[in-house]
Amino acid sequence: MAPEFVTTIKTSEIPVGSVVAVDVRGTRIAVANVEGTYYACDDACTHEECSLTDEGELAGTTLTCTCHGSEFDLRTGNVLAPPATRPVKTYRTRVEGDALQIEV
Amino acid sequence: MAQRYVIVGASLAGATAAITLREVGFDGTVTLIGAEQEPPYERPPLSKGYLRGEVPFDKALVRPAAFYAEHGIQTMFGMRATRIDASARFVELEDHRRVSFDALLIATGGRNRRVSIPGGDLEGIYSLRTVQDADRIRAEMTAGRRAIVVGMGFIGSEVAASLRQKGLDVVGIDPSKTPLLRVLGETVGQTIADLHRAHGVRTIFEDTVVAFEGTRRVACVVTKAGLRLECDVVVVGIGIEPAVDMLGDSGIHVDNGIVVDEYCHTNVSGIYAAGDVANHYHPIFGRHIRVEHWQNAIKQGAAAARNMLGKRVAYDEIPWFWSDQYDANLQYAGFHTKWEQLVVRGRLDSGSYLVCYVNEGRIDAAVGLNRGKDVRRVMPLIRSRRSVDLERLRDDNLDLRSLHSSP
Repeated sequence: MAPEFVTTIKTSEIPVGSVVAVDVRGTRIAVANVEGTYYACDDACTHEECSLTDEGELAGTTLTCTCHGSEFDLRTGNVLAPPATRPVKTYRTRVEGDALQIEV
Repeated sequence: MAQRYVIVGASLAGATAAITLREVGFDGTVTLIGAEQEPPYERPPLSKGYLRGEVPFDKALVRPAAFYAEHGIQTMFGMRATRIDASARFVELEDHRRVSFDALLIATGGRNRRVSIPGGDLEGIYSLRTVQDADRIRAEMTAGRRAIVVGMGFIGSEVAASLRQKGLDVVGIDPSKTPLLRVLGETVGQTIADLHRAHGVRTIFEDTVVAFEGTRRVACVVTKAGLRLECDVVVVGIGIEPAVDMLGDSGIHVDNGIVVDEYCHTNVSGIYAAGDVANHYHPIFGRHIRVEHWQNAIKQGAAAARNMLGKRVAYDEIPWFWSDQYDANLQYAGFHTKWEQLVVRGRLDSGSYLVCYVNEGRIDAAVGLNRGKDVRRVMPLIRSRRSVDLERLRDDNLDLRSLHSSP
């Protein structure tokens, strides 16, 4: 199936500086609000699958999994600090009216 | 002639140093020498996911095996270095070859302490340091068998958890009052004892193993208090000693490991040490400390490489480590040996707390159970060496980041 934008939750449910989990067609995705820009990535840390929503610490566009300290760049999914070695999958987002859409 | 940099110890620290030398653009020769056959790997999974058969060995590799050749790193794996001549500037290998160096990093890590008691040579008694050790223990991990874990430090506690998770009957024995007592103290240690008991481990504290019995294979453990515990397999985890025997009369200063300054440099020009083996001067704590954990291996290995290149970067990471046991995530940050006050956020019996070890109003260290965010947020407070408002610190509704900038 070609990727398409899927409407998820209202942007008002994702305060600035927070990370919120959304379920998009069976995939749990973490959405971060960085100063009004929304970044989305898989919720499961690529190291040992801790939930990035529950354990993630957001600073700028860096999301740190506080289970074991792995750091990811939310813009690309790239690993900034180990122990994770594999990038986390990221998703494009856009705002439609008051809703956040994620491309899956 | 090209500069020759040699690293002894194909460990996480040693491999990270080699990788860093290339990342920073060093164009001389890099030789990585290690006693183990395998390419460098990370040890944390050995007591946890790898031991339980959930994580393949490849995932533990520091880099894929082909990485080293691709990056011009000469490797000599399965080759033990036996001697260093610090004045003639060479390392001697077990096959008597000599490898000359212009700069040398020693990252030999540690070796397991052994019990020297009757029956210690019986089959079925293991310790855990290498992937081969893990494979041997794994081969014994059949549900329903009776395992005894001797020593409930971090490795013993993690192995006990993994054995339980695989359905073995587990007895954990430690001479202290609680697991992890030396690092965490009795108050916190008690919660870890509770964690293990809640998962069905029989714990025996303040008692010592005095003999192993069996004909060919261990069948019984005898304690000082007179307990006789029948068993099928034993895992001993009583700590490590820094692996320094190759230093002999090299003139390199050894005191609880290889003594280095904050630049990972020994007392001998051009010779460095990093990782478990290095007793390093820590500028923030104002004393030498030796750290036997993953983060120190990786970060100090990288720092040593930069210092070998003359970059003069002080290694001043706040020590930090995690220990996963069952579904619990334990993390420690900082450094302490004693404390005047314990400040607890959350409740010790709730399965989620942060305990801060406080001296003179300053947080020297903190341990969190299922408190990853708190541990990360307390680290700047530890680093600052400032006194903190302990009442606010104790307020579990307060985001610790709000203490970062307050006077």
